[in-house]
Amino acid sequence: MRITSKSDKSFRMALTALFALVVAAMSPLAVRAQFLHPKVTSKQVTIRNIVILPAKVQVVRDSMKGPEGMAAESEELSSRVEKILAEVLASQKHVATVSGSVAPSSDGATDQKYSVADFQSKFDLLLPKIMKKRGDVKQGRFSMGDEVLNLNLDKTADAIVFIRGQGQALTSGKKAFTLLVGGKWAYLKLQIGIVDAHSGEVLLYTDPALDGDPTTAVDRLRSALEKSFKKLPAAG
Amino acid sequence: MKRALVVATLCFSIAFTSVAPPALAQKKSAPVEATPPPVNEEFKFGKVDLELFEQVQLLDRRFEREGLVLEDEATSAFLTRIGKSLLPKGLTLENVVWKFRALRDPQPNAFALPNGSIYVTTGLLSLMDNESQLAAVIAHELTHVMRRHTYLQNRSNRKKFLTINVMSAIGAYAPGGLVGTVITIATAVAPFIVMATIFGYSRDLEREADLKGIDMMISAEYPPEEMVKMMKILKRDIEGENIRFFYNDHPALQERINYLSSYLGGRADKVTPQMELNREQKAYFNSAEPIMRHDFNLEINEARFRSAVYLAQRLTDFNPTSSENAYLLAEAYRSLGPRAPELTEQELTNSAKKDAAKKREKRTLEEEERELLATAAGQENWKKHQQKAEELYLRSLSLEQPAPAAHRGLGMLYEKLGRTNEAISAYEKYLELAPTANDRERIQRRIGTLRK
Repeated sequence: MRITSKSDKSFRMALTALFALVVAAMSPLAVRAQFLHPKVTSKQVTIRNIVILPAKVQVVRDSMKGPEGMAAESEELSSRVEKILAEVLASQKHVATVSGSVAPSSDGATDQKYSVADFQSKFDLLLPKIMKKRGDVKQGRFSMGDEVLNLNLDKTADAIVFIRGQGQALTSGKKAFTLLVGGKWAYLKLQIGIVDAHSGEVLLYTDPALDGDPTTAVDRLRSALEKSFKKLPAAG
Repeated sequence: MKRALVVATLCFSIAFTSVAPPALAQKKSAPVEATPPPVNEEFKFGKVDLELFEQVQLLDRRFEREGLVLEDEATSAFLTRIGKSLLPKGLTLENVVWKFRALRDPQPNAFALPNGSIYVTTGLLSLMDNESQLAAVIAHELTHVMRRHTYLQNRSNRKKFLTINVMSAIGAYAPGGLVGTVITIATAVAPFIVMATIFGYSRDLEREADLKGIDMMISAEYPPEEMVKMMKILKRDIEGENIRFFYNDHPALQERINYLSSYLGGRADKVTPQMELNREQKAYFNSAEPIMRHDFNLEINEARFRSAVYLAQRLTDFNPTSSENAYLLAEAYRSLGPRAPELTEQELTNSAKKDAAKKREKRTLEEEERELLATAAGQENWKKHQQKAEELYLRSLSLEQPAPAAHRGLGMLYEKLGRTNEAISAYEKYLELAPTANDRERIQRRIGTLRK
């Protein structure tokens, strides 16, 4: 039988607190920063109808033998993020999601597919700049230009939503390993940009994050998204 | 004491296994004169390989769905004809269905998925001079599939990631003192060392693909020296984006040029009439012109303006009477704005390229242009390029079957120059000639703004 002294106990408590701190520091921060264009804060522009472009959320399963792809789960999660985001914006901000499919272009569906793909890659070019200085969205520094009009979206759409995300799930072996040794826990980080459908200006940028297995997150995801759009003025 | 000893033994054994492979890999490198058989017949699918195969199948479908594959029958037929001519006759491989596709990506690149999908980017297709160079790229990628390189690499990577994790565990429980310090350092450096061994292994596979590719080219009557020329084309760095890092999954291009030239030796001496035909630039450009034009738009979309100028110039040189090509060159110069059309030697040094990449991540295009316009050189470039663009737009409109988009380009040019009335009439002319244009609303809005 071991005899534990008072000082031993407080040392163990301090150690536990330190461990908790280290774990908290290593897990992704649950930052839900929101940055709004002055036109939105001043209500010069009101977002009533949006088009959500296909989300690009990639998750991997981290195992003891390195990261493994989760292509099917990534696709499923991408659709889920789009769906929950539409629901959150509808219920909390009275923003309607209009169909992404568009007035048919002269050369048909393939051209439209290319057009969406090119705008997605254009947003990918702009995203690192936004992420470097997110606060500059408030100064209206970022724009995709009036080329967004070439997407020929539904006439009622006044904003386009771009969604990106990265996350990881852990295998049970990796979970045990992370518990013992430390490292990144399961997480999901999203980057969401809302762009004016006429001028191309970035009207809102937010980057919700959540801890835990992203592939099973539904309520946690909904709650993270709700918090991420708190500042957006309601349309109604 | 006993624990420390066990940890130390583990540490050194892992350190040895991690450090040794690069040295061994060098010894293992295939001699220049020998290439392995075309197919890896000993390969048996395991669970890990089948999982990878499934992921890759999904990736293929995702490329299609997201509009990344160039869906053009003529292009697919062109690539398939070349790909099939290189394959050994009667070859069937488990879990492989050959597909040859162009990927809508302006970055020059090509890759093979282990399920038999070979992708060549439009950016690479636009830089080539003849069909043989394309055959060189496809032959290289075919070897990766036939020799099951992706599966082998995946297996190897997984073993090495396990090593990283084991080393981290040892590092976390390292005792104090000298042994602890060694383990801590080894752990911090471990991913680096392990990655270096991955790097070494991959280079061997790349080399195998290069050499086997030469053999396949000869069998299909493509002049093999075109592979060396292809490497030289890849060495050109128009955008200053080929930054050398410690890790790089292909051997240095110069190294590849050297060993390929040495492997070619007498093999390049025998030239058949078919080989001569496959070297023809005109025939290649006839097939690749639509791909190049498509790629041009991708270059502009991704702000690769120097590549756009280079590409449009190639198109204009090939077909100087084409109104479409003159229009593209005008667009390229207008978009280039205050930038210099070519990077200087200083700008092409590795450190300068790294600095430029950092700046690209921070500045928007408008900010970059403003900064350049504040310099005398930027002002001069801007003036020169706008003049050139105007001349080329007008030339495009003077040629047979004038491209209506040249009016739109002129409108944008005049709008920027503050020539409002001319801009409005150019835009109006464009809308008149292209009433169903995709960007009709955009142009109408521009006219509206200019009129206010």
